[in-house]
Amino acid sequence: MEHRNTQSPLARAIGLGSAKEGSGHWWAERVSAIALVPLTLWLAAALIAHTGSSHAAFIAWLKTPYVTALMILLLIAAFHHTALGLQVVIEDYLHTWKKFTAMIAVRLGCVALAVVGIIATLQIAFAG
Amino acid sequence: MIIASSDQVSRATLFKRFPVPRNFGIARDSRIGPGKRWPAPAGAIRTKSFEIYRYDPDTPENPRVDTFEVDLDDSGPMVLDALIWIKNKVDPTLTFRRSCREGVCGSCAMNMDGTNWLACTRFISDLSTPATIYPLTNMRIIKDLVPDQTHLFAQYEMIQPWLQSETPDPEGERLQSSAERSRLDGYYECILCFCCTSGCPSHWWNGDRFLGPAALLQAERWLADSRDEATEERLDLLEDPFRLYRCHTILNCTRTCPKGLNPGKAIAEIKKLVVERRS
Repeated sequence: MEHRNTQSPLARAIGLGSAKEGSGHWWAERVSAIALVPLTLWLAAALIAHTGSSHAAFIAWLKTPYVTALMILLLIAAFHHTALGLQVVIEDYLHTWKKFTAMIAVRLGCVALAVVGIIATLQIAFAG
Repeated sequence: MIIASSDQVSRATLFKRFPVPRNFGIARDSRIGPGKRWPAPAGAIRTKSFEIYRYDPDTPENPRVDTFEVDLDDSGPMVLDALIWIKNKVDPTLTFRRSCREGVCGSCAMNMDGTNWLACTRFISDLSTPATIYPLTNMRIIKDLVPDQTHLFAQYEMIQPWLQSETPDPEGERLQSSAERSRLDGYYECILCFCCTSGCPSHWWNGDRFLGPAALLQAERWLADSRDEATEERLDLLEDPFRLYRCHTILNCTRTCPKGLNPGKAIAEIKKLVVERRS
């Protein structure tokens, strides 16, 4: 039998109503993007400057406090921004259970990758 | 490029339509079959062919694209004139909406040469040969060039497009300064033809929840109104990952607005207000 939706057009348009949030996500996207502009330029410039330098020299550079700090800031900003951006892509293109599955995978994946990166940086800074 | 008005869009396009086969990914019932050819009347000197989408709900047949040869010396200069000429002289079953024929009512919005516009304000000479005439995209088709806009008007109703005020009604008019009145410029001109919402990719993918540029421009029109007192409820209603934030500033809305408005900017103004009230 044909499935009929007998809801009024207005009821269908309203759906489950407003989430009354979303501005936090939108704002965090812009703020992390602003942070990423100087941080990404800095990393790109530093990597180009280090082409040809030895492993030991690179590790020594990474151990300097300001470099360690900037690296950790970059990892936080980059993975926060990635998680926020991918969430938008998922909400755009996936629906029903696929949306929630993908969202959970992206969230946990980004947190895991950020933690791994930060631990590696700290390991080099304090123990390497 | 960030554009502010449809008059900045060049008429020349690289592809007339996205280069995939015509029925690519289309549901079986909606696939477009071959249509009829309607030759020009004998004696016509200057003619132009129009490929027009046809769908008749009273037959079990699929939609088709008919080719009409229009006698340009017998028809007016606008696409709507050509459609009326076809309906009067060739095929009276051709169905389309029209009323004012001067870009004020918004009835004759359709897709011409791949761009949504009003048939009454588009010159025939602006279209390539053959000219392709389709109904507005992303809506169920009632017949030929007439789309079902029920959902779009329900979304418009949802943003409560009327003045809301707790203050007792004044004796006379509700006064506005010239500056307050000028804040409505660029919003009040909207004629709800839905060219923008029909052309919005975010509305294609999530039109059930995303309000679309037309409804959001109207929402901003009431937020910008100095006489309205429901800003809090309006912003509560709009702040939602789908209703508002599906807009990714693609700006197809601004490109296609036949009134030269900028729905993309109106939506950006709403996003600014929502952030402003929480920080």
